[in-house]
Amino acid sequence: MLLKSSFTPLFIAIPTKHKLPNLSLPTVSKSFTQQCPPTVRQNATLNTTSLLLLHKLPPTSAYVHLPFCRKRCHYCDFPIIALGSSSSTLNKNNDDPRISNYVETLCREIKATNLNSSNNPPLKTVFFGGGTPSLVPPRLISSVLDALSSKFGMCGNAEISMEMDPGTFDAVAMKQLMNLGVNRVSLGVQAFQHELLKACGRAHGVHEVYEAVEIVKSCGVENWSVDLISSLPHQTPSMWEESLQLTVRAQPTHVSVYDLQVEQDTKFGVLYSPGEFPLPSENQSAEFYRTASRTLRDAGYDHYEISSYSKSGYRCKHNTTYWKNKPFYAFGLGSASYIGGVRFSRPRRLKEYMDYVQNLENGVVKCTGDGIIDSKDLATDVVMLSLRTADGLDMKYFREAFGDSLMFSICEVYRSHVESGHIICLDEQGRNVSANEFISLLSDEKVGYIRLSDPDGFLLSNELISLAFGAIAP
Amino acid sequence: MAATADFCRIKLALSESSPSRCSHAANFTRPGFFSLNKTELQFHRRNYLSTGEADVLRHKRRRGLRACCQAAGTGVQPKNAPSDKDLELAARAGKDRLLKVPSSRIRNFSIIAHIDHGKSTLADKLLQMTGTVESREMKEQFLDNMDLERERGITIKLQAARMRFMYNNEPYCLNLIDTPGHVDFSYEVSRSLAACEGALLVVDASQGVEAQTLANVYLALENNLEIIPVLNKIDLPGAEPERVCREIEEVVGLDCSDAIYCSAKEGIGINEILSAIVQKIPPPQDTAERPLRALIFDSYYDAYRGVIVYFRLIDGTIKKGDRILFMASGKDYYADEVGVLSPNQLQVDQLYAGEVGYLSASIRSVADARVGDTITHYSRKAEESLPGYKEATPMVFCGLFPIDADQFHELRDALEKLQLNDAALKFEPETSSAMGFGFRCGFLGLLHMEIVQERLEREYNLSLITTAPSVVYKVNCVNGDTVECSNPSLLPEPGSRRSIEEPFVKIEMLTPKDYIGALMELAQDRRGDFKEIKFITENRASIIYELPLAEMVGDFFDQLKSRSKGYASMEYSVIGYKESDLIKLDIQINGDPVEPLSTIVHKDKAYAIGRALTQKLKELIPRQMFKVPIQACIGSKVIASEALSAIRKDVLAKCYGGDITRKKKLLRKQAEGKKRMKAIGRVDVPQEAFMAVLKLEKEVL
Repeated sequence: MLLKSSFTPLFIAIPTKHKLPNLSLPTVSKSFTQQCPPTVRQNATLNTTSLLLLHKLPPTSAYVHLPFCRKRCHYCDFPIIALGSSSSTLNKNNDDPRISNYVETLCREIKATNLNSSNNPPLKTVFFGGGTPSLVPPRLISSVLDALSSKFGMCGNAEISMEMDPGTFDAVAMKQLMNLGVNRVSLGVQAFQHELLKACGRAHGVHEVYEAVEIVKSCGVENWSVDLISSLPHQTPSMWEESLQLTVRAQPTHVSVYDLQVEQDTKFGVLYSPGEFPLPSENQSAEFYRTASRTLRDAGYDHYEISSYSKSGYRCKHNTTYWKNKPFYAFGLGSASYIGGVRFSRPRRLKEYMDYVQNLENGVVKCTGDGIIDSKDLATDVVMLSLRTADGLDMKYFREAFGDSLMFSICEVYRSHVESGHIICLDEQGRNVSANEFISLLSDEKVGYIRLSDPDGFLLSNELISLAFGAIAP
Repeated sequence: MAATADFCRIKLALSESSPSRCSHAANFTRPGFFSLNKTELQFHRRNYLSTGEADVLRHKRRRGLRACCQAAGTGVQPKNAPSDKDLELAARAGKDRLLKVPSSRIRNFSIIAHIDHGKSTLADKLLQMTGTVESREMKEQFLDNMDLERERGITIKLQAARMRFMYNNEPYCLNLIDTPGHVDFSYEVSRSLAACEGALLVVDASQGVEAQTLANVYLALENNLEIIPVLNKIDLPGAEPERVCREIEEVVGLDCSDAIYCSAKEGIGINEILSAIVQKIPPPQDTAERPLRALIFDSYYDAYRGVIVYFRLIDGTIKKGDRILFMASGKDYYADEVGVLSPNQLQVDQLYAGEVGYLSASIRSVADARVGDTITHYSRKAEESLPGYKEATPMVFCGLFPIDADQFHELRDALEKLQLNDAALKFEPETSSAMGFGFRCGFLGLLHMEIVQERLEREYNLSLITTAPSVVYKVNCVNGDTVECSNPSLLPEPGSRRSIEEPFVKIEMLTPKDYIGALMELAQDRRGDFKEIKFITENRASIIYELPLAEMVGDFFDQLKSRSKGYASMEYSVIGYKESDLIKLDIQINGDPVEPLSTIVHKDKAYAIGRALTQKLKELIPRQMFKVPIQACIGSKVIASEALSAIRKDVLAKCYGGDITRKKKLLRKQAEGKKRMKAIGRVDVPQEAFMAVLKLEKEVL
C-alpha cells in the first residue's frame, strides 16, 4: 500500500509543461545541409525527459514503406505489392506506373500530415523499408525525400537508411541514391547458399549477393548492414557458419540476424511447423543464435540488440528510436506510426490506403494522439523495447515514471532469473552486480540497469519479457 | 395440485450411461448367504441346451407408446391380455382408491428388479390396470419424461402408489413402495423393504438373475418379505423362462413353481400378478390402537412446503394437525398435511396402521426426518422406535474445488442446498496450496459422488476440480491413538504411525463363463483376495472376492463392464477394516512437494502409479526456462522420475517498421497464460495439469 500510494504523487510531480529546447531551425526547402544541435545536447534532452513525456515530443524519425517486390518471399507476411519478374526496374525512362502512382500518394500523405506543434524539429533519421525499396527508381526516392524535408525539415547529418535487395540495383542507382542523401544501406542477403535462397523464394541468387556487396563497397557506402536469416528450412550448422564467415569477410559495419518466424498465412506457415524438419529443431535453432552471437562478437561486432550487431559507432539510429520508445512518423501502406502516444497502423490494402490518404487530406482522419496514455500500457512498451537492447532497462527512469512499486515488482519476478544468469543487473558504471546488491542499489536510489544476458537471456526474451508484463499488470 | 409434477419425482439413480454403477449392501453380514452356500451343489452340469443365453444381446428399452410386434416364437401363450372391459372396470375401482379398507385387505409390496429388467414398465402397468392412472395419462407422462431421463442419465420413478384392486368382489388396497433404483443407497432400499410385507422379484426372462437383484433379494429376505417371482419380457424371442426359473431356484433358493410369466409391455400376466399379491402377501397387522409408530422410507425437500416425508404406518393412526416427533432426530413438528400417494399426493383426513402415506410439516431439512427414523406422537410417545435406523456414513471422499476461486461461496451455497435433500452428503472446508479453497466431501459411494458432482455442475453452473476419490483410512499411531484419515495430506508422518488399515469390501460378480478369466484378472489386479467361484448355471458363474474399497473407487465397474462386454454385473458390501501395506506417494515438481497430488497407495502399486503420474505431468506442464525434474517419492525416496527439458529458444522477432503492436499482443497472451497457472515453487503448472492428473489418479488407482 505504501509503495502504491507513493506512486501517484510522483506521477503528478512530473511537470506537465516540460521546457524543451528549440530544436528546429528554419527549414530550407530541398536542402539536406541543415545543421542539428550538437549530439551532446540532444542526449541531455533525452536523458532528462521522463519516459512518461517522451512520446509527447515531436517525432524526429520517419519510416517510409515502399511495398514493391518482384515476388513474395515464402516467409513474408508484410504488406507488399508483387510486381512480377518482368518489371524492368533498371529502366530509368519508363517508371512502372504502379510505383509512380504509389509514390505520388505517399508524398500526398506526407504533405497532409498534421503537425502537432508549430515548430517541429527536423528529421534525424529516415528509414526506407519494404517491400524492396531499391526497386523504386532514385528519381522517385528523391521526391519522397523532398516531401519529407519540406514538411519537417531534415538534419544535415540525418541517417537515411534504405533496405536494398541484391539484384535490384546497380552502381549507378547506388550513386544516385547516395547523392540524394541515402547514407546507410541495409542489404537483404538472407543467406549465402543458393539452395536456401531458392527454398525461401528469394528473387536473387548468391551471385547477385556478391555483386551487390561489391557495388555497395565500391560506391563507398560507409555505413551498411548485411541482413541474414537463421533457421531457414534445410539450413545446416555448416551453412550457417559459412554465411556468418562470408558476412564477416564482407566487412559491413552492421549485421542484422533474424531468427525465422514462421507466420500463418505464408507459404512457410502452410508447409512447415517450427522445430520440425525441414526447419531446424528448437535446440539447433538456439545453437544458430549462439553461433551468430559468438562469431560476430569475435569479429568485433557489438551485439547491441536481440537481432542487431554493429561495429562501434554504427548502431542503427532509426531503430534505436523504436527501442527507446521515442515517437516516429510513418508513411505508406500498412506502416505504423507512434505520435503523441498513439500507435497507428495504416491500411494494408492499397485501395484502402489510397482512401485513407484522401481522408487525411480532407482532414477527416487523425492518426496522432493527444498525449494521454495509460501508464501501465506505456510501462509494458518501455520494458518490452528496452529489454531488447544490450543497454537494457534504465531503472532510474523507469522508477521516476512508474513508481517504486512497479519497479520493485519487476525486480522481484526477475530475482531468480538473475541467479540463473538470464537477467543481468548493472550498476551505474555498467558493472555486473548480484540481485541482492542490485536491490540495495535501487533502494539507495543509485542508478542501475537490468538487461537480458547474451545469448541466454536474449534467446528466452519472450518468456522473460512476458514475466515483466505479468508483474506490471497482475 | 400439480399432478404431473407430483406424480413422478425425479430420483437420481443409476443409468446406462453412468460410468460406475454398483449397488452396495450396507449390511456386512447377510442372512441371505445361507442360500448362496446352498448353491454350491450346482457345480454339476445340466443337460439342457442353453440357446446362447449369453449371446442374447440386451434388447433396447422400448418406449411406452410404440406398438411393437408380438414375438410369436416363444411358445408362451399370452395370458389374459387386458381387454377394454377390464380397463373400464379397473378405472371404476380406481376412482374409489382413497376409501378406507380394513387392514386385512391392505397389501404393501415393492418391486425388486435389475436395471432394465422392466420395473418401471411393470409399475406403470399395475397403475393402469388398477385404474390408478388412466391409460392415456400414463402414456403421456411416460413419454414426457423419457427425454429427460435419457438426457439426464437418471431414472425417474414414482415413489409409492396406492391402488384399489377388486378381488373376489372385495376391494383391496395395494400399496406399491418403490425402492430407490439402486445404489449406494442400499440402506434406503432396506428401509423401503422394511415398509412392506412382500415383494415382486422381477427378472428378465432372457437375462437371468443379476448381482444387484440378488443383493436386494437378500435384503428382502432379511426383512421377512413374501417374495413373488415374476419373469418379465416373455414376449421377446430370446426369452427362456424355464431356464431363468431354475436359475432363481438355484441361486436364490426360491420356489418358482408358480412363478408368474408376464410381459409388462404387452400387458400379459398383470392380473395374475395383482391376484398373487392379494393371495400370497400377508396383510399388515391391525395395530391401530397402539401408540403411533411410522417408518420413514423416503423424504425429500420441497422448496415451498419443506421436507415431505413418505412413511409406512406400523402402529397407530395419524391425522392432520397432530404434533409429531421424530424419534431419532428428536425434532417435533405439527403435521400440516397428511395424505396418500396415488401416485400423486392426495390429502386424506387420517391414516391407519398398515397404510402408506406422506406428510408435510414445514420441516426445514431432511436431516430432521431421515430415512429409517420413526414418527410418533409428541403427546403419546411410542416406547421404542422401529428397528434398523442408521445414520448415513460416508464411505468415499473427495475434494471439490471451484476452478474459479470466486465460485467458492456459490459452491458452499449449492452444497448446503443439496444437503437439505440429501442427509448422507457431508462436507467440510478444505484448503489446498494448489487449488485454493474448496470442500472435502463425503459420499455413500461412487454413484452418490457422481450424482452430487453432476448436480453441482449442471444445476448450479459450477466448474469444479475433483480430487481422486479416497476412502477413510484408520491410522494406528505409535502412541496408541487411532486416527481416521481420508485426506492424504493429513496422513500422520511415517514416524508417528504404526500401521494403516483400510476398508475392505466383499464383491460378488455374476458373469457368463467366457469372462471369468478376465474378471478374475481384474480382481487380482485390484489386490483382490479370491474367495469363491460357483457356477449358477452351466454358463454363468458367481465369483466372490474380497478387496480394498480403495481399489473399487476408481474405474472398477467400468472395467468390469468392458472386460465382460457388458454382461457381468456386480454387487459389493463393506466387510470392515484390515491392515494393509499402505504408503503415501508424493509428487515433487522441481523439488517442491505438490500436496494435492499426494495419494495413499499400496506399496506394490506405488511404482506403477508414480511412473504414470510423472509421465502425465511431463506431458502437461509447459517447458520452463530451466530443466524441471518431476518426481514421485515415498518419503525421501524417489521412485519415479521424469525431467522436463528447458525451453531453448523463445525469442522475439524484429519489430518491423517499429510496429510493435502484434508482438506486444503475443507477449500479453503469454503473460495471461502464466496467470492461469499455479506456481509450484518456480514452476508454473497449468490448472489443466492438475485436473488431468487427478483424473489419471482415478483411473490408475
